[in-house]
Amino acid sequence: MAFLEFNGIGKRFPGVVALDDVSFSIERGSCHALIGENGAGKSTLGKILAGIHQTDSGTILLDGREIRPATPLEARQLGIAMVHQELAFCPNLSVAENLCLGDMPSRRGWVDRKALRARARKMLQSIGADIDPDRLIGSLSTGLEQLVQIAAAVGTGAQVIVMDEPSSSLSAGETRELFRLVRDLTARGITLIYVSHRLEELFALCTTITVLRDGRHISTGRIADTDPKRVISQMIGRELRVETPAHLSREPGPEQLRVEGLASPGKFSNISFSVRAGEIVGFAGLVGAGRSETAQALFGLDPNATGSVIVKGKTLPPASIEAALAAGVGLLPEDRKRQGLVLGLNCRENTSLAVLPLLTRLGWVNRRRERSLAEKYATRLRVKTPSVETLIAGLSGGNQQKVALAKWLARECDVLLIDEPTRGVDVGAKSEIYQLLDELACEGKAILMISSELPELLALCTRILVMRGGRLVGEVPRASASEASLMRLMAGVDTDATESVAQ
Amino acid sequence: MLSRLRLAFRFQESGLLLIILVLGGFLTLFSGTVRTPEFRISEDGTRERVFTVDKDGERVPSFVERNKFLNAQNLAQLAKDTSFIAIMAVGMALVIISGGIDLSVGSIYALASVTGALVMHAYGADGSHADSSGLGIFLGVSTCLGVAALCGLLNGGLTVALRVHPFIITLGSMAILRGVAFVATKGQSVGSFPSGFRDFVRFEWGQNISVVPLAVMILVTFLGWIFLSRFAAGRRVYAIGGNELASQFSGIRVNRVKLGVYLFSGLSAGVAALLSLGYYGAATSGDGQGYELNVIAAAVVGGASLTGGRGTALGVVLGALIIQMISSGIVILGIDQNYSQIIIGTVVIAAVVLDNLTTWMRRRRTLRTTG
Repeated sequence: MAFLEFNGIGKRFPGVVALDDVSFSIERGSCHALIGENGAGKSTLGKILAGIHQTDSGTILLDGREIRPATPLEARQLGIAMVHQELAFCPNLSVAENLCLGDMPSRRGWVDRKALRARARKMLQSIGADIDPDRLIGSLSTGLEQLVQIAAAVGTGAQVIVMDEPSSSLSAGETRELFRLVRDLTARGITLIYVSHRLEELFALCTTITVLRDGRHISTGRIADTDPKRVISQMIGRELRVETPAHLSREPGPEQLRVEGLASPGKFSNISFSVRAGEIVGFAGLVGAGRSETAQALFGLDPNATGSVIVKGKTLPPASIEAALAAGVGLLPEDRKRQGLVLGLNCRENTSLAVLPLLTRLGWVNRRRERSLAEKYATRLRVKTPSVETLIAGLSGGNQQKVALAKWLARECDVLLIDEPTRGVDVGAKSEIYQLLDELACEGKAILMISSELPELLALCTRILVMRGGRLVGEVPRASASEASLMRLMAGVDTDATESVAQ
Repeated sequence: MLSRLRLAFRFQESGLLLIILVLGGFLTLFSGTVRTPEFRISEDGTRERVFTVDKDGERVPSFVERNKFLNAQNLAQLAKDTSFIAIMAVGMALVIISGGIDLSVGSIYALASVTGALVMHAYGADGSHADSSGLGIFLGVSTCLGVAALCGLLNGGLTVALRVHPFIITLGSMAILRGVAFVATKGQSVGSFPSGFRDFVRFEWGQNISVVPLAVMILVTFLGWIFLSRFAAGRRVYAIGGNELASQFSGIRVNRVKLGVYLFSGLSAGVAALLSLGYYGAATSGDGQGYELNVIAAAVVGGASLTGGRGTALGVVLGALIIQMISSGIVILGIDQNYSQIIIGTVVIAAVVLDNLTTWMRRRRTLRTTG
């Protein structure tokens, strides 16, 4: 019998139908995968269940009773909790204080520290998490913080836990820990709704799966009865073809970027490699391996970096963004919203941000040239926007990423350092970005691409460099690269453990 | 018709203009009239009273009935009062848009006034270097503006070099600069400037309408508007206020821009100080006490966002005008002066709430158009 049942759920946001007549049910104690493109409505559905949003139509039945949680607190009381992607805690308070925030043990208004600590420790132990309850939440890694969130959910007696992209910023070890915990929780009869983009994870963990597309329910079934390819085609409604990139068939041009003995204390050391025009060189590694830090140092953002960076035969002076820019280096940073774009400005202004000096005479910006430049790249990169005057905050993740890329193309950068280009981008836009990168390589750009998604590196790159613990540990040519071989290099001796995770 | 109306309302400052019109209409309707003696310019160029003959055949001075708010003198007075705050608010707008704050403008205003005054006093009729050429005026003006710019540079330099929040830095410099002004003048008022300077600033057009502060305000607003909306440097100010890290990642020299905005803010306080020197003919170290709050209030009412990245030069000037209209409206309407602070404080909060509301509505609209 169904434990949790959605009947004709509908939810509208201004101008968008987020959910349209979604109905399916979930068994008690199952781990239910909820998957769909960005904007498919999977997070919205989770948030409705957790009391963050309310339905416009339809009903939710929990164990046969209709529920309608109006606030997260009400959902909690019904036994439903959500583990968020973003910070859900006060970073300035301790683990124990955060765990008991809703119900602080106190005596006549004074906090009972002993009871507080004891209760927190009990909650943490119940999920087998070894975390000191006195540590500040802000000092924990994302993975540990998620464990605390799960402890809070389980500790308050949650029967249903919604996990929204739980593994998106975890290291391999943390992911393994999370998987163990997920299996443990379902064994205890807790029902999990696991929202994720990562298909292999879903297939490893979940028992049932629901696919949403454009707010509509597409399918629900046992995960054993389907396969990743079918799920992807259900998500996007068409087959995703991975073609062999065109740049591979061309002979690479002269060396554009050469790095010799690049090091930065505490971040990475002795990095040497080179990239030729028309190549896409991949940068693989686990989170924290120092890939983004290396790219930022190449771009002159690390004042402590030593070693030499040679662009088109000229050595760049250390720690100078201006010199890197002048030499034609552009960096597409990993965190688009924090480092890449100014959300309060429109597409035109974001596109021209790095190229302003060239559009300016006597301090005066030539608006017409600026506009035509922005329009040129919006067309060229197929940015979907009503006009280049639209605020960047109003665009989808994929289109924002294209504008962030347009900023460097407008500057005619020949060396592009591209960090996680498809993070937070839906499947359709992903393949468009792959195609764009391929086109850019064909035009003779030298591209260094950092990615945590191995299939994307394998599909796109000429060769792949692997970093581990701040060192370059190997270079794998395209022909001999496989997920397994890369994983072995990335994780070092820890290969067996990581492979067992995937199984 | 409707679409044209909508186009007019897409103009960013239309809401502020609407408020000003409504406020003006309100004040005109409720202020009542005042009888003022009538003057005319006689043939030899002097002003003289106009007389009429009343029904008893006696010659009596004539009076005209004027609306207390809507008459040339009052409006000119309003413009003059607004101009000091508005000029500084343009400088403040740059700082606030860049994501900073400058609490020291009132003190910069005072210090620039007294240093300029000391120099001009020395060259004035009673001074040690009494001199009728323009040298004294030139030196006085340069000192006033130079000191103000230097103070702004100091704020910017300390903020950038020490990596301390500008609130703290300018809170400190607010006290320090005010203190320097007191030390420099020993708390005495400094006056007696070369007459040419006062005559210029107090130049009147028609009857009692002094135009120089108004003209300077319009000029500063125009320059600020051009700078922010059309210059690359202005764009960088928005970029830094919107997202400092992304600006740095785009190769913008963040520190240089920050230095610039504080310099401009200081300079704008210097310009206002210069006008007050000419207009009042004297300066004391206590001048401009509390101006920083009026200036910040004007900027905020005018739509500059304290979180940075948003605001316009015209907006903050209109914001200054709104605040000035309300405080002079309180006088005109004969409301107890003691209420004025309460009313102005309420207006500041209401303006920001209204602004948040319209931003929210605009965001909803963009969401609707882009799906």
